[in-house]
Order: sequence, then structure tokens, then C-alpha cells
Amino acid sequence: MSDATVLNLVLYLPVLGALALPAIPVRREDLTRALALAVMGLQFLLTAYLYARFDPAVAGLQFETRLPWIPSWGVSYQIGLDGFNVLLVLLTAFLGPLVVAGAFTAIRKDVKLFHAMVLLLQFTMLGTFLAQDLFLFYLFWEAMLIPMFLIIGVWGGERRVYATVKFVLYTAFGSILMLGAVIYLAYAAHAGSGVSSFAFADLYRTTLPVPAQTVLLAAFALSFAIKVPMVPFHTWLPDAHVEAPTAGSVILAGVLLKMGTYGFLKLGFPLFPDATRLFTPAIMTLSVVSILYGAGLALVQTDIKRVIAYSSISHLGYVMLGLVSADLLGIQGAILQMVSHGLTAGGLFLLVGMIYERCHTRELAAYGGLARILPVYSVFFMILTLAAIGLPTTSGFTGEFLVLLGAFSAAWQQYELGAVQPLALSGAAVLGVVLGALYMLRLAGRLLFGEARVPHQPVVDLALREKLVLGAIVAGVFALGLYPQEPLRKSELAARQYQELLARGVGAGGPARAPEARPPRPAGQTAGKTP
Amino acid sequence: MSAETVLTALLPEVLLLAGLLLLIGLEIAVPRHRGAFAVSLLAVAAAAAAAAWLSAGGSSAAPFPGHYSVGPDTFAAKAVVLALAVPVLLLARGEFPGGPFYPLLVSSLLGVCLVVSADSFLTLFLGVELMSIPVYVLVVLAFQREESAEAALKYLVLSGTASATFLLGVSLLYGGSGSLALSAFSTALGSRDVLATAGVVLVLSAFFLKAAVVPFHTWAPDAYEAASVPVTAYMAAVVKAGVLFAVLRLFALAPAERPLVDLLALLPLASMVWGNLAAMRQDGLRRLIAYSSIAHAGYLFYAFLGDGPGRFQAVTFYLLAYGLMNVLVLAALPPAGDDVARDRLERLKGLFQRQPYAAWMIAVAMLSLAGIPPFPGFVAKFLVFKNVVAAGYPVYAVLGLVGSYLGLYFYLRVIQYLFMAPPPPAEEASAAEGEGAPSRLALAATVLCLLPAILIALFPGWVIDRLGG
Repeated sequence: MSDATVLNLVLYLPVLGALALPAIPVRREDLTRALALAVMGLQFLLTAYLYARFDPAVAGLQFETRLPWIPSWGVSYQIGLDGFNVLLVLLTAFLGPLVVAGAFTAIRKDVKLFHAMVLLLQFTMLGTFLAQDLFLFYLFWEAMLIPMFLIIGVWGGERRVYATVKFVLYTAFGSILMLGAVIYLAYAAHAGSGVSSFAFADLYRTTLPVPAQTVLLAAFALSFAIKVPMVPFHTWLPDAHVEAPTAGSVILAGVLLKMGTYGFLKLGFPLFPDATRLFTPAIMTLSVVSILYGAGLALVQTDIKRVIAYSSISHLGYVMLGLVSADLLGIQGAILQMVSHGLTAGGLFLLVGMIYERCHTRELAAYGGLARILPVYSVFFMILTLAAIGLPTTSGFTGEFLVLLGAFSAAWQQYELGAVQPLALSGAAVLGVVLGALYMLRLAGRLLFGEARVPHQPVVDLALREKLVLGAIVAGVFALGLYPQEPLRKSELAARQYQELLARGVGAGGPARAPEARPPRPAGQTAGKTP
Repeated sequence: MSAETVLTALLPEVLLLAGLLLLIGLEIAVPRHRGAFAVSLLAVAAAAAAAAWLSAGGSSAAPFPGHYSVGPDTFAAKAVVLALAVPVLLLARGEFPGGPFYPLLVSSLLGVCLVVSADSFLTLFLGVELMSIPVYVLVVLAFQREESAEAALKYLVLSGTASATFLLGVSLLYGGSGSLALSAFSTALGSRDVLATAGVVLVLSAFFLKAAVVPFHTWAPDAYEAASVPVTAYMAAVVKAGVLFAVLRLFALAPAERPLVDLLALLPLASMVWGNLAAMRQDGLRRLIAYSSIAHAGYLFYAFLGDGPGRFQAVTFYLLAYGLMNVLVLAALPPAGDDVARDRLERLKGLFQRQPYAAWMIAVAMLSLAGIPPFPGFVAKFLVFKNVVAAGYPVYAVLGLVGSYLGLYFYLRVIQYLFMAPPPPAEEASAAEGEGAPSRLALAATVLCLLPAILIALFPGWVIDRLGG
């Protein structure tokens, strides 16, 4: 079996699993769970195999499949792994079995429907990352809403219907404008080159006039910024997170939000380089505002889930900051930060879910001194808290540190040219790290230490299943924190390609104007510099 | 031209006519016969197959030059319309064991076929009337509530007005050009003559009314609601298709030019916005479908902003995707004791718990109508808006997309009822009593809608290529 076939298998395994579900009798919930877990587990193993086979020295797509799909429009079914998506695909496949295993006891209603939706969601998320054709990308991007709509709406909390409708209406509004932009972009590319194609590679080659780029980037950016979410498009997120079942929150924080940043990385910025240069100050400002605003709000929440929800806004602000810096370290840091946030936020949401299952409340004030009552739980909570803060040796440190390094190096160059704003913004972003430590330690402090109290007695500590799930996440957190070289190497060529794409365009100036046009550093040095 | 060529060219119509004559003959000769369903199903399915076969063969002919011609496109259109009528017939079996329903439906279908092939205003008028008049009767046929008669009358009067408007417009066009050929319309599109423009606007208004485009839409919610389920499905899927094909024949390949473009964009746009907004407030499923169909009429007319050759493709693809999904909703709707109860949206609450298959079918149809991928409605919408952009109206395209966004809410609300709402507690018992499982024929109808929809979703390129362009 060729590797391209394996990649297709990875993509379609969840669909096969979902199609097999109706064959299981309704009463056999255990069988349903086992099947979903087996499918997800197999998918992860195959993805890990592909990740190991992924050659960091090859630029561009690997394990590619390209088949004509709507030939008269130039739409093809094209999927493949490259440096942009390989880590995110691995993250998605890694979280898949953990989500299923984490929901073993929490989901008791409509078990089959739930697992079918989780599997379909997995399919659409992987499809979004793997798609190398704009039409296909949009298809997966939009189809993703349906399973998420049901996951939040059927198994969510009190105000689940409100939250899920809000989530879908927000994201769909962005998508509908993006659809207009997709259609126009394909049309303009066709008018420019005479070839009608939706393939990313072909679209990268078209250069549109700056006004058209500006409008199109605005449409794409709105859609992506809602998904990330960036302030001021973030208001759907706390509601969705709080009302979603644990599995929904984990997927939402772990993978779904990365769709937005991945969209910027793969499409938004590289497709419209001139408009990106124009928008950079605004996006940078919004990123820093997101970092600080998210952190500030996380600081005053009384609901545990809300703290982590707002912290996501803050953490993804770093990703955006790294992407707009257009500095190699910044970009790689951003990619790493995406994976790291997927692990830590996913893990924290799992932890919140576990305590909620035991005590049925998420009120921070109801808890205290869990370290004495639930020691194992507390250890995991503390590790993930420290990872979220960005303690060295954890994944959070590598990502955030590289982003800030990149942001400063880009800002410094601009400062030398007389621009103060980027430097000031980068400085403000550092403040976010401090705030991050504050709100996470406040959360952990109130929850784990102090007078011991739980709203519901007796509570039992983590079961083996829960320990395994959390153990896997913690292992991932440390693996990424201690050995970042390997993932960095796999994404390096993509980061360079991103820089090159940003540097082209009608208004591309010399190296003096555009920091991204600097001569690239020799390979290996990047990896060497990281802690 | 040999009789054989004429007969081949007219094969779908001939089959329908044979079926129609047989039905009428049976009605006269055998009292209380039970063969009407089988005969009409056979005739319609055979006609659909014949049309599909002739379309694939690529034959074209003009058996009645200047009045009636066929080609691969017209055969494809007939195949689509006739194929949509097959699940409608399956649905009708339970409600209409016999009687006038079947001859009326078949003659209406004959009218649609005539419309699709019309080359002159005479044939077109004949086709449109042959298509519409049986439907007025069909609406009152299942006389189950007081409002049915009122709605049918409203439909009759307004549709009659549309016919009169059409004739007035045609007479103006005829006065200007001295020709009854349909090309008089497309010539008049580009003309600056006041008389010609007035003719064009009148003809267009007539079809706006027949297709229920705002502000000529008011008959649709009442008529859709008053009619029984299969008739609603027929009106939403087939009659709308017939009207749109008539407009396609009228426009032929002529480009839409200003100021007509604005009329052609703004009224459909208003239709999308109003249809989608009004649908949010409905509590009956058929009224919801009616307002949704008003919005969809908007998208369909948007296709005429695009350039000539792409229009047929866009409209036909759209009608296929849209028609299949409309029939699917109505086929999956669980039967109930009385017609009013069956229609209530509230009754869909918690349906997933009681009838998962029906709930899924309705959900799929709603998502497709909302234009969410991977369902066929998405590609259909994409095709329409792609053509609008390519014709140089990106602003109208964006406005239309935002208009379509407004519809998302009420489609989602139906899905929310299906999956997220508990069944209404007080009526739970009565709802469970009255609510039966869908009949076998209704299930067959859902499969007949679902399978093509899946194929379209998986291989849109194949379908698009078959539709020329």
C-alpha cells in the first residue's frame, strides 16, 4: 500500500467507522464506544506512521493524491501532507482517540449519534487540513459546522441551543463572505492565467491588483478571525465552550480554533501578500489586543471552563503574532504554539470535564484544596497549568518563546527603519505571558490549594482510563517541550515557503522594506537555537 | 421529416399522452378501478427514461419547426422534471388511491414537457396553461380544510392574472416584431424601444408571479399549505421547474443588459431576503417550504444574470438539487391523523428519538436547501453564484450570498427541533398515537430522492458535464 493510499485511509477511516455504527444494536453502547475508539486509534497509528515517513528535506506536498473532480471548473480532489499541515494532522489524529476515551462515562444519551458525529467531525477537520484545493477546502471547512452544531446542541449544558446556534451563525457568516471571495478569486485567477483551477499551488501563482487583494483578504480574514477567534470576533467562543460537552470543548479548543490560524497561514496571507503587508499593523494590533484582552478576562472568570476558554483567545493571539511577524522563528513558533495549545487546552478541558462529572459544577468558588482530596488529578492539573503558562521543558514554552523571539526580531528591524509600533506591540505581548501566569496560577491555586472542599462527597480520584488519557497528553506536552527539533525541522521548509510567498506580490519592496525578504538562515541553526 | 423521427423526438410526450389516455379510458370503462397509480407511474417513469436516453444519445430535431424543437438539453430538462415526478407519485399513492389525481398530474407534466421544448409564444402559452390549470384543481382535491378552497381560488385568480399579463406582454412584443417566435423576446431584451421593454417586463412579471418571486409571491404560502403533501411537493419541485424552464426558453442565450439586469437582480434579491426572513416565523412545515421556495426562486432567477450558455446548466442543476430535497422533506414527513397536525413544525420535536431515519432525511434536505456542503444544494448555489461573478456582477453575488445566509437560521431551527428538543410533553401521547411510520412507498420515495442526491454530491462534475454548457 503506497503512502498516498495510507493518507486517504487516514482521512476516510472515520467515515467508514461512522457508516459501520448503524449496524451496532442500540443497547450495545460499549460496542459503539469500542468501535469509535478503535477507529480513532488506528487512525492515529497510521498518521504517526506517515509522520515518521514525512521527509523534512522535501519542499511541497508529500503522499499526494490528485484526481479530477469537477473538471470543467478545474476542481480536483487533491490532498497531501506538507510542512504546514503535518503537525496539525498529527495533533488532530492524536486528540481523536483521547476525545472518544474521555467521553466514555460522560455521554449517556444518544451514544451512537454522538460517536457518529465525533467521527464525522474528525473527518471534516482532517479534510480541511489535508485539502490542497480551495473548493475542497471550503467544502470541508463548511461541512465541519454540522457535526459541531449537533455535538454542542444535543449533549451540551443548559443554554446549549443558544450557544450552538450562535456558534454556527457566527462562523457561517464569515464563511459565506469567504465563499464569495473563493468564487471571485477562482474567477480572477482564471481571467489572469486562462487556466481554471482551484488548486492552492496555482492560486499562489496569481497576483491580483492590490484593491482586489484587499477586499478578498478582508473576506477570508473575517472568516478565519471568527474561527481563531480574534477580538472583537470572539464572543461566540465562551458560550460555545461553556455549553459544549467536554468532548466538544476539547475538539473546539484542540483543533477547531487552529483552523482559523491555519487558514491565515496557508491561504489568507500567502494568497494576498500585498494586502497582507497593508493589513499587518492592524492584524498585529488585534493579535496583541487578543492576547491581553483574553488574558484579562480569564483573570476575572468564576467558571473554570470560562477561564480556559478566554485563555484560548490569548494563546491564539500569540499564534497570530508569530504569523504576521513573517520571521522564520516566529512562524515556526506559531505552528508549534498551535500544537502546544491543542494539547494543553485540550487537556485542561478534559480535566474540567472530569471534575464536572464528579461534582456537577464548574464554579471555581465551590472548590478548594483538591491537592489533598484528589492528588493524582491535581498533579495532572498542575502540569498542564504550567504548560499553559509556558514553563521551560513544556511545549508551551517553546511555542511562545519562539513567537516572541520572531516578533521582536521583526519589530527590531522595523524599529531601525523608524517604526516604533511593532516594537511596542511586541513588548505588550510579553505582558501577556505575565498575565497568563497570573490567571492560570490563580485558577490552580484556588482549585488545588487552600481549604479542602468539594461540592459533592465522596469524590474518587482518577480512574485508569482517565489517567491514560491525561498521561498521553502530558507525554505529548513534554515531548514537544524537550525535543522540539524534530517537529521544527518538519515544518521549516513550509515556513520558508510561507516567507517567500509573502515576499512576492506587485508591491514587494527590497530587503530593507520587507523583513521577510532577509536571506534565510542556514537550516539546522533554527533547531540548534531552540531550548 | 419521417414519422419515425417525429415520434422519437416526441417520445416522452407520446408516452405521457398514452398514459393519460389510458387513465381516462380506465376511469370511464372500469368504475372504482385501482390501476391509476400503476399506469401513471409506469408512464412517467418510461417517459423519464426515454428522455434521459434521448439526451444521452445527443439527438436533436424540430418536429414542428418554429413551434417545437428538441435537443440534448431539452431532453435532459425533461428527464429531470419527469424523474422528480416519480417520487411525487409514490407519495401520492397513500393520499389518492384513485380518482382524478393521476390524470391531472400526468397532463400537467405533459404541459411541462411542452414548455421545455417551446419555440413560439403559442406553444409556450399552451404549455404553461396545461401545466398550471390541473394544479389549481390538485390544490383543492384534498379538500381537508376550509382554507383549501380559498387558497386554490387565490392561486387561480393570481395565476390567471399572470397568464393575462403574459398575453399582454406577448401582444406588445408581437406588435413590435411581427413574430410569435420566442426569439422576439431575446431580441427585445437588447432593444431600447419602449414597447419592447414594456413587453419584456410584462412577460417577466408573469413568470415572476408563477415562480413566486417577491412581490408576486403571496399566493404561494397559502397554496402550498392548503394542498396535500404530494401536491405541495409537485408544486415546489416540478411546477417551479416548469416555470424556470419557460424563462430559460425565453432568454435563450441572450445576455441580460442594464437596466433589465437590475430588475433581474433586485426582485430575486428581495425574494431571497423576504423569503428567508418570513420563513423564520413560520410554524407550519409547508408554509416554511413555501417561503423557502420563494427564496430559492430568487437564487434561480439570479442564474439569469450569468452568461447564456452557463444558464441552462446552472438552472437545471439547481432545480434538480432543490427539487429532490423538497420532495425528500415531504416524503420523510411522518404521517399523522389529520393534515393540519401533520404539518405542524412542533411535531418534529424530538423526532430523532422516535424515527431516526425520517429525522435524518429531513435534516439532510434542510442542510442541502441551506446550501451547506457536502450536500448537492451547495454545488448548485456555487454554480449559480460562480456564473453571476463571471458575468461581472460580484456585488450582486455578495448580496445574494448574504441573502442566502439569512436562510440558515430557519433550516437550523428545524434540525434543532429534530435532534435537540424533547417531544412536547402534553401532546406526547397524542403525537405518538397519530404519528405512524412512513409508508413503504414514502420510504421508496425518500430513497429515490436520496440516492441521486448522494450521487450528485459525490460526482457533481459528472452531472455538470451531462448538462452541457
